[in-house]
Parts: sequence; structure tokens; C-alpha cells
Amino acid sequence: MQPEISCERVRKIYGRGTNAFEAVHAATFCVEKGEFVSLLGPSGCGKSTLLMMIAGLESITGGRVLAGGTPVDEPRAEIGIVFQDPTLLPWKTALQNILFPIEMMHKDRAAHVGRADELLRLVGLYEAANKRPGQLSGGMKQRVSLCRALIADPEILLMDEPFSALDAITRDDMNVVLLALWERYRKTVLFVTHSIREAALLSDRILIMGGSPSTIIADVKVPFARPRHFTIGETPEFNALCSALRDEITKARQTAAADDHDG
Amino acid sequence: MVDDSPSSLSTSYSLARLEEKGRGIRDYALAFLFAGQLRAIVLPIVTAFLFLLAWQAISVLGKISPTILPPPTMVLQQLSDNFSLIMKHTYPTTIETLVAFGISIPLGIVLAGAMVYSLVVQEALYPNIIFFQLIPKIALAPLFIVWLGIGPSSRITFSVFICFFPILIATAAGLRAVETNMLRLCRSLRMSEWQVLIRIRFPTSPPYIFSGMKVAVTLAIIGVVVGEFIASQQGLGYLILFASSRQQTDLALACIAVLCVVGLLLYGLVVLAERAIMSAYDFR
Repeated sequence: MQPEISCERVRKIYGRGTNAFEAVHAATFCVEKGEFVSLLGPSGCGKSTLLMMIAGLESITGGRVLAGGTPVDEPRAEIGIVFQDPTLLPWKTALQNILFPIEMMHKDRAAHVGRADELLRLVGLYEAANKRPGQLSGGMKQRVSLCRALIADPEILLMDEPFSALDAITRDDMNVVLLALWERYRKTVLFVTHSIREAALLSDRILIMGGSPSTIIADVKVPFARPRHFTIGETPEFNALCSALRDEITKARQTAAADDHDG
Repeated sequence: MVDDSPSSLSTSYSLARLEEKGRGIRDYALAFLFAGQLRAIVLPIVTAFLFLLAWQAISVLGKISPTILPPPTMVLQQLSDNFSLIMKHTYPTTIETLVAFGISIPLGIVLAGAMVYSLVVQEALYPNIIFFQLIPKIALAPLFIVWLGIGPSSRITFSVFICFFPILIATAAGLRAVETNMLRLCRSLRMSEWQVLIRIRFPTSPPYIFSGMKVAVTLAIIGVVVGEFIASQQGLGYLILFASSRQQTDLALACIAVLCVVGLLLYGLVVLAERAIMSAYDFR
């Protein structure tokens, strides 16, 4: 079976000539259908750029991105995206915001209201369906944004540090919500984060990005069984995995610094 | 070297505390006089009243000729004596201002929309519009009279000419104020530029449009009054010029007072419209 997402030596260079900056260098990896994979790395390591290239929202300088077996060169309807900010329309209610993609794709709105209700119930926002974003908290807004990404039943869900603007407690809540959503729909998810614990809790596999120029430096399998509960975060195995991931990131940084010295 | 020793620190702290205490007492006194929100209304009125009182005192006690500086009471007298005359001239000025403002709103908004929608339109228009704005527009007013005659159309056109610009600039800024990720979302939903303009950009821009309209409404009055200065047989601008030429400074000042009230009312109208639309759209 072919992978749902596959990147082959994907490269991104911003600018030209002396101002050129290589954000991503020859990133190669696959994400299987129904797999939850995290892209983990420090800020500015090009992980968001890589995600935007897979979404078809950023041009690719070199290499190839395949989604569902065909090359990505423009945005696609079967890819859902959650951004770092909720990007809701302030004049629409939560429900109207969730149904906005359906409206824009000229699909049958009435047929999707049921699904929107189901999604709202799953993220615990059923009562807030008719509230506007101004009346919702940051976490609630991001839940609406999650529902919106899932409304058109996309094959792939791309998430760009979706919870990094939230406080730690809300963030934990959102992780629980996301675990439940993934259990329910089993989408192929590529999740960008700079939180090691978040990546370890949510993912089947973690791709660590780093180095200079930045690329995929490690591919770590997460061995914990599904369905997962938030409490696995307290087990010694979990903490051992987290420290191993941290070591990988530190190692990549040191190598990058040494490379810079040589150059 | 070690300047921030405990002793110097504590002195500065106690000084700060003293200042705080002083401010606290003042606040308390003011709060006692004008409780809560009332203060925000009473204070400016008291200040204005004191200013008028000082004016009255200077022109009466200083025995200044009423042709130079008539006291506020004389101006008030003129206002009541010639009320029907002043109102007769207020009417055309107000109507022409409203028409000019009413034309410049859709003009500014549509031009801004065209510029944001099409790069070609923007590149063709924007530098020229900026260049137009650099011309001292008042200097062009006589030409509008030459082109369009001394009727209302020349004054309205001139007024539109100077007041549509802030609406255009503010609307263009509002249309461009959509966040990068929102635009990415639109692209991922394969929305057309036209859909983005109508569904996202325009609904995002009312706060900007209204700030432009607030500037524009005062410019609209200026445009009409300047037009009346140059060539007209009616309007408050005409009456001010007429009164000044006959050294009736009190009448001129009465007209200016009415002009202020008209300006205030039109500005208030824009603020009311803004509030209505904002609450309907739920901008916070």
C-alpha cells in the first residue's frame, strides 16, 4: 500500500543569490494512511515551511511531495489544515465558521450540519454552537478551528503548532480532545510542534527536524498502545522516551554548531 | 560602583510611595466632585465654560472693539437675532456636505476594492492618487468654479475631491489587514480572489472604513465651505465672508458656532452608524 504522504528530498530556499536561505534541505519521509506523525524541532527549523509545502501553500524549490499518490502543486480540498491561530471569521458563529469550507466548496450545507453537530459534541462545544468567536476563549476557538478542518472529511489533517499559543492547562485539554478525535476518525495526521511531551503523547511516530541546513535527522517510533490516556505522561517509559528525544535534538544542535564553525 | 545600596533604594521607594499617596488624595477629591463616568462629561464642559468666561472677561474688561473680538454674549445675541437668516444659510451647506460625503463613501470603497483586487488597477492608480494628494487642493478650488460654475455641483465635486481620499486609504488598509493564515485558509479552500474580497476582506474592513469616514466627514464640510468662500450666493461660508466684509465679527462667529454644531452632528452620525454596524458584526 502506498503511503498517504510522501516527501522525496524536499528542499526550500528563500531568496536569491547572497540573500538565499535554505530553510529545508532534502527532507525525505513517509506518512502511512491513518498514522499520526509529529514533526518535532526547535523554532525556526523549517518544520512549518515543510508542512506548508505539503499543504500546497508554499512553493517547493526541489524534490517532490506526494499526497494520496499524486504530486502536490496547489492546495487541495482533501487536506484539512489547522493553523497556530484559530483564523475564525469574527462575524460568524462557531457553527457557521465550521460550515464555511462546505459553503466555499459548494457542497450541500444541510447534509453537513449533522456532522458539524457531531464534531462540536466531540470537542465539548455543543452549547457554544451559536456563539461568536469574540465570546469564546482561546482554547474554544482552536477547537472550532479543529472542527472546521474536519468538516469536509479530509483524508489528511495538517496541524501547524495548533496549541502553542495556548496556556499549559488548556494545551493539555486540547491534547485530550485531539486524542479522542483521532480515535474517532483515524485521519492521517502530520502535527508540527516544538513540545517534546506533546509529540510523545499524541504520535505513532516522531520525525525530529534540525541541523543546518535543516532536515529530518531522526525517525522515532512511539511504542505506547492505543487508545492512549493522558496519564501515560506519568509513566517512566514515557519520560525515558522524552529524554531520548531531547538528546537527539541536543545532538543535532551540537553538530549544526560544529558545522557552522567548519564553514 | 554599588549605587543601588539598600539605603538609596529605600529612599527612592518612600519617595515613590509619597507620590502615590499624593495622587491618591487628588483622585479622591476629584472622584468626590464628579463621581465615576460623569467626570468625563463634566470636566470638558467646565473647561470650555472657563475658556468662554475668560474670553468674555478679556473682551469686556479689556475694552476690545467688538469688530476685533466680540464677547460670547454678543455672539449669542446675534445667533438668536438672526437665527432664521443663519438657518437659511445652514441648510444648503449641510445638504451639500451630506451629498459630497455620500458620494465619497462608495467612491472611496469601490476604488479601494478595485486596487486590492487587481494589481494592475493598483499600479495604474495608486501613484497618481498619491500625486493628486500632494497638490495643495485648496489651490484647485477656483478651477472647480471655472469648470463647473458657481452652483452646488462645483462645491460638491470639490468637497468629494478632498474627502474621498481618507476613505480610500483607510479602506485599502482594511482590505489588506487580513492575516496571512486566514489567506492561507482561503487558498486551501480554493477560494477565488473575488470570493476572498467579498467574503473575507470586505467584512474585515468596517473598523478601518469608519476611521476613514470620521476624517472624511470633517473634510467634506471644509470642502463645501471653501467652495462657498470662492463663489456663492448662499451657505454659511458665504454668510461668514459677507459678515466679515461688513465687519460684523459677531455674526461671523455665530455662523462658525453653527458650523461647529453641524460638524459635530455629522461626526456623531458616523459614530452612531459605526456602533450599529460593529455590534451587528460583533467586532471586539
